[in-house]
Amino acid sequence: MVNVEDLRKEAKRILKEEKVKYIIGYARSQSGLMPVPVFIKTPEEADRLIWDPTCVHNLVKFLVDEKRRKSKEKKPDERPVGIVVKGCDSRAINVLLQEKYIDRENVHIIGVSCEKSGVIDEKKLTKKLKGKKIKSTEFDENGQIAAVTEDGKVKIPAEEVLAERCLECQANYPVIYDVLFGDKTKKKIDDPFKSLDKLESISEKERWDFWAQQLSKCIRCYACRSACPMCYCDECVVDTITFAVSADTTADEKAGKIKWVEKSPVSSENFVYHLVRAMHLAGRCIDCGECERVCPMDIPLRFLNKKLEKEAKKLFGYDAGFDPDTPSLVSSFKDEDPEDFIR
Amino acid sequence: MPRRLTMAEEFEPRIVAFLCKWCSSAGSDLAGVSRMQYPPNVLPITVMCSGSVSPLYIFDAFNKGADGVLVSGCHPGDCHYIKGNYYARRRIALVNKLLEFIGLEPQRFRMSWVSAAEGIKYTQIISDFVADLKPLGPQTKLRRKK
Repeated sequence: MVNVEDLRKEAKRILKEEKVKYIIGYARSQSGLMPVPVFIKTPEEADRLIWDPTCVHNLVKFLVDEKRRKSKEKKPDERPVGIVVKGCDSRAINVLLQEKYIDRENVHIIGVSCEKSGVIDEKKLTKKLKGKKIKSTEFDENGQIAAVTEDGKVKIPAEEVLAERCLECQANYPVIYDVLFGDKTKKKIDDPFKSLDKLESISEKERWDFWAQQLSKCIRCYACRSACPMCYCDECVVDTITFAVSADTTADEKAGKIKWVEKSPVSSENFVYHLVRAMHLAGRCIDCGECERVCPMDIPLRFLNKKLEKEAKKLFGYDAGFDPDTPSLVSSFKDEDPEDFIR
Repeated sequence: MPRRLTMAEEFEPRIVAFLCKWCSSAGSDLAGVSRMQYPPNVLPITVMCSGSVSPLYIFDAFNKGADGVLVSGCHPGDCHYIKGNYYARRRIALVNKLLEFIGLEPQRFRMSWVSAAEGIKYTQIISDFVADLKPLGPQTKLRRKK
């Protein structure tokens, strides 16, 4: 069990010793059950830090923001940034390290273990408790979730309210950390790609109908891109507006820029956008599920990334985010890579 | 005036083929200069290496109305840039699985190894591709609606 007091004590210590610039963590929000990301700058504030099953966010995105901010500062503070990470988030850090986007010394990783449990899916929990107001949730020593409602404490089997990704989690404790809270007990998973079975077993036409229906809902708000810690390109291929435009750029030149994807949210363009995003995350996605969680249209985006994760594992034996020193999936190859599909 | 397609006429698929400059493009040239007969349904695009074919090119070809897309490069070990086709092999395998997963007919996308000497193999690949695409009809799934 993770003792939150230990976490706060450690946070206070490193802030007092000025080892870190600030700590990115979770804090209770003013309203509702779900926490908010918080930036702790002084030891006094450290008591705001929390850790419970509602801490769903992947805070690694803020490391990407930090790097951008730092690159603009004239005299940047060279101290590392502290960050509270779960198992899945720590894999995201590993991928950023693998891609040399951040350096190890720029980040102080405070790992928290989900142990046998995981984080909740807010929608599932609200549904389970039939809309009762939930005051707080906590981990149970048996891997169950205990929720405190207005009627008192309710114990819920974890598999009923956990986020989909936690049911298929392959790293329930951080794989890279400077300090770790909680146990390194491995949760037993029968099949990490079980959620794909249903989609893979139906016919090609049914699969098309499913995706056509889902992706035509997309309004192209790019929330999935904004929430993703791996989507850190300064210029995105689907954004024609981010092409470098100077005072000398003529209207003709602007119009003549390659436009791969139209901005209008129509099915065919949405497909190109989501397929490109899936390909760009191949071998990089660590299944933190943020894209799906932030989607206002409830598109099951996780399946696309999960599918490529599965193929990477099956065809090339590649797991994303476990070892920052191996070459990435698409920048490496083996002689024995399958080529039975090639004529 | 382009000829209008009448009901009686057979559907002629349009194939976009990304051919690497050093092998497959030369292979298609060999087929041409040797006067080998093969269907004229293919639009060849020469690229420097099969490894330079971004998945975006493939999705975009489908988006702009291709009925089939072919990526062709040198045989393993023959790449002009030593290992470009090995990278392509990995990447295209993933694209292939992804397109299958979203429900595009698997016959619409393929990859081949064609060397500069394999003019006959090139004509065979195109003939097979056209024969496979004809029963499927036009590709409307990923095509941009006008």
